[in-house]
Amino acid sequence: MDRRFNDLLKVLFHPHDYFKILSRDRYKSLKIRIVLLDAMISLVPLIIVVTISYFWFQSILKEDFRNQVKWQIENTEQSIEYFIDEKVSALRFLASSYSYEQLSDQKMLTDIFSKFEKEFTGLVDLGLIDSNGIQQAYAGPYPLTGKDYSNQEWFNEIVVRNVYVSDVFMGYRRLPHFAIAVKKQCPEKGTFCILRATIDMKILKRFASAINLRENDDAFILNHEGILQTPSRFYGDVLNKFKLPVLPTQRGVSVVDVKELDGGPAIFGYVPIRKSPWILVAVIKSNPYLRIPKIFRNELLLISILSIVISVVMTFLMAQTVVNRIKKADQEIEDAMAKTEQTSKLASIGRLAAGVAHEINNPLAIINEKAGLMKDILEVSDSLEQNKEKFLSLINGIAESVNRCRTITHRLLGFSRQMEISHETVDINDTVKEVISFLDKEILYRNIRLELNLQNNLPKVTTDKGQVQQVFLNIINNAIDAVKEEGYITVSSHIKDNHFVRVAIKDNGVGIPKENLKHIFEPFYSTKEKGKGTGLGLSISYGIMQKLGGTILVESEVNKGTTFIIEVPVNTMEVSKGGL
Amino acid sequence: MPHMRLLLVDDEVEFTLALAERLQLRKYDVRTAGSALEALALIKEQLPDVIILDLKIPGMDGIETLKTIKKIDPEIEVIMLTGHGDVKSVEEGIKSGAFEYIMKPVDIEELIVKINKALAKKNKEQ
Amino acid sequence: MEHKFEEGLRLLQLHFIGKILAGFTHEIKNYLAIIKESAGLMEDLIKLGKASESDSGQNLEIIHSIEEQIEKANTLFRYLNRFAHRMDIQFATFNVNESLEELAALVTRFANQKKISIEKDFHEAIPPVYSNPSLLQFVVYSALEEKIRNLDKNSKIAIQTGVDENSVRIRIVPEGNFVQGEGDTTSISYKILEKIVMQLGGNILQESGRETLIMLPLTNS
Repeated sequence: MDRRFNDLLKVLFHPHDYFKILSRDRYKSLKIRIVLLDAMISLVPLIIVVTISYFWFQSILKEDFRNQVKWQIENTEQSIEYFIDEKVSALRFLASSYSYEQLSDQKMLTDIFSKFEKEFTGLVDLGLIDSNGIQQAYAGPYPLTGKDYSNQEWFNEIVVRNVYVSDVFMGYRRLPHFAIAVKKQCPEKGTFCILRATIDMKILKRFASAINLRENDDAFILNHEGILQTPSRFYGDVLNKFKLPVLPTQRGVSVVDVKELDGGPAIFGYVPIRKSPWILVAVIKSNPYLRIPKIFRNELLLISILSIVISVVMTFLMAQTVVNRIKKADQEIEDAMAKTEQTSKLASIGRLAAGVAHEINNPLAIINEKAGLMKDILEVSDSLEQNKEKFLSLINGIAESVNRCRTITHRLLGFSRQMEISHETVDINDTVKEVISFLDKEILYRNIRLELNLQNNLPKVTTDKGQVQQVFLNIINNAIDAVKEEGYITVSSHIKDNHFVRVAIKDNGVGIPKENLKHIFEPFYSTKEKGKGTGLGLSISYGIMQKLGGTILVESEVNKGTTFIIEVPVNTMEVSKGGL
Repeated sequence: MPHMRLLLVDDEVEFTLALAERLQLRKYDVRTAGSALEALALIKEQLPDVIILDLKIPGMDGIETLKTIKKIDPEIEVIMLTGHGDVKSVEEGIKSGAFEYIMKPVDIEELIVKINKALAKKNKEQ
Repeated sequence: MEHKFEEGLRLLQLHFIGKILAGFTHEIKNYLAIIKESAGLMEDLIKLGKASESDSGQNLEIIHSIEEQIEKANTLFRYLNRFAHRMDIQFATFNVNESLEELAALVTRFANQKKISIEKDFHEAIPPVYSNPSLLQFVVYSALEEKIRNLDKNSKIAIQTGVDENSVRIRIVPEGNFVQGEGDTTSISYKILEKIVMQLGGNILQESGRETLIMLPLTNS
């Protein structure tokens, strides 16, 4: 039922069809715009925060790691320094506890050595050297008694200073050692002597190893010339030269980033060990601080993706709701407007009709009085002769009043015509030819070539001839305006199907650009210069065709031409055929 | 004969002239006015007995005119001329002192009856 | 889809009013034409010197005919006026007989085209109803129009009004042969009329070829 009803409506004029043409895509694009905008607004800060957090977190971890490295190095440094202090103190104690005689006594020294050894970890040997550099007594595994150290650098050094800690050197049996020596003043002899202890390098190594190392990391001790004092994992064995130039040392731990070391970045931490010739070095290539961020990153990614998905979904739902509301509201407004329009139209018609009824009173009254007067006169005097003039004038007055009545009621007719459709049998081809005949002069004047291709047995159509004529006139006129001089217009007619007949008007004029095509049927849309054309023609024609149950289609290409196709229903009333 | 002075007030001249003539044939003393101002001037000149007044005349509002007339001489009886659908005006008119009303186009017999009634009433009160 | 129905309804109403007005103006024009002709005739008679004493009777006749036309026109205008004022507000309390009287007067012309007479059989003491008078006229018109279209010539349609316990009843009763007719087919299906009458607060029973019954509830004032 509803569909037939709607078809019925097509027959009648509906002004809001204009707006419906315009608004079809509006809501979809609105939806898309809202979703995109919202998504951007909510996601951009999220992404910014996440990225900042990520890098910030990573830098914190890195910093933390570096601090760890620093502290470890520091701790180890302090341990080593403490160790050296300890051993130096022990030696000093020994030196001061025993006299030269005792110390230079081989047996005594050996005895001291064996006792000392138990407490002194890593002690390899103990020797007393006189002021000439000759080792007077020696306790230990090597035959070093009588060795002359006078030419050695350390000897010369310790003469000046009182304590000496040596670099690691390759001793007997090719084992790396280092030595600590203390100077003892021997007043009875009027000179000094040196108590020297050799310590296994392994002790140092133990310290270096104390630093927490991962796979690619390395920690070792260097001397100031860059010679390895302890074996390293990757940079050579003890007493090899360390490849990297040793950086200028300053007191305290330095942690430096090196961009390229063995194919990658590394953290290089080092500290000079006080009161020794050594530098503790750690080369950290591992990036445990990166591993955590990796986990963090995965979680972050997961949360981000989840947030994005939720955000987009929510945005979409919200946009949907909002746009639907808008659509609904717009619809309601349109409905209300339509309703108001219709009811006020109804009311205004009512007023118009009532107005006519009121106005007619006067002229009718006049006719009435004049006729009555004539009657009176006749009743009073039988002779018409005397009153001939009077009568003629009265009759005249009546005629005038009748005209007045006509004019007043005619207004009503004009208005009611708008609401009616007349139905007559129309020959479309004839109508086309008629319309063209109206425009003959114009066509000739402009030298336009007009070709007619009217299908022969076009069925007769039941519709409103006057209105269809108006439409043809409008569109053919437009075609004439579109082609320049010597242009070319074809008007053709053919059957579309059982229900419709088509009239196509094709011109080779300027054409209509694509963006404008969807607007041409809008009221007041005109590309003509100001003053030429109201822009109403096409919109009215479109409305008329809709009202009659047909439509107008258009195809166009700029500078090639335009084709308008007017579709006329074979039977305007066909929609409700069998319509009980 | 006395007390049968009528004043017709309507802006449709053709109408008033024809009707005036008809009433004169029936022995009434009739004058016509085409507007409220004209009417009031004529009234001042000579008081009519009954006024037949169209409510929709230019110048003053019909009801206003009615009230003014009643102020000038409350004993003048007024018959309102109306068209279709002037119900409200009629009600207001009666409230403002009009005696009767008659619809256009006018049935002369009916009008005569009403005029006589109005005259009778006026004479009674005198 | 309610609003679409509303829209459509309004349009059909307008269409109906348009037809009424058109018919009305044609009728009035006829009357006016007669008046004019009559006046013209008198003029001719007088001018030709044929109006002598003995012929004053003829003149009187002519005048009488003019007055008749005036009366008819006036009556029709009164109906038009009433009809028009019903469109001022949507819902109102009104007398059904009066509204049907107007309608009958205004559609007489259509019926006359097929020599179908419209008879009014109104219950005198009909109580007022609260409904949409203009819309009701539209519905009754639709029912009338369908019957006018499909009845044979020289038939009759009676519009009857009556009351029962709780409603006012309007019957549109065709009397004559039913023939499926051609012509103006902006008729509306029964279902649509049903819907409209429901909006008016009433009921409608209709069958092709038979009487249409519309029931409107009485106002409880």
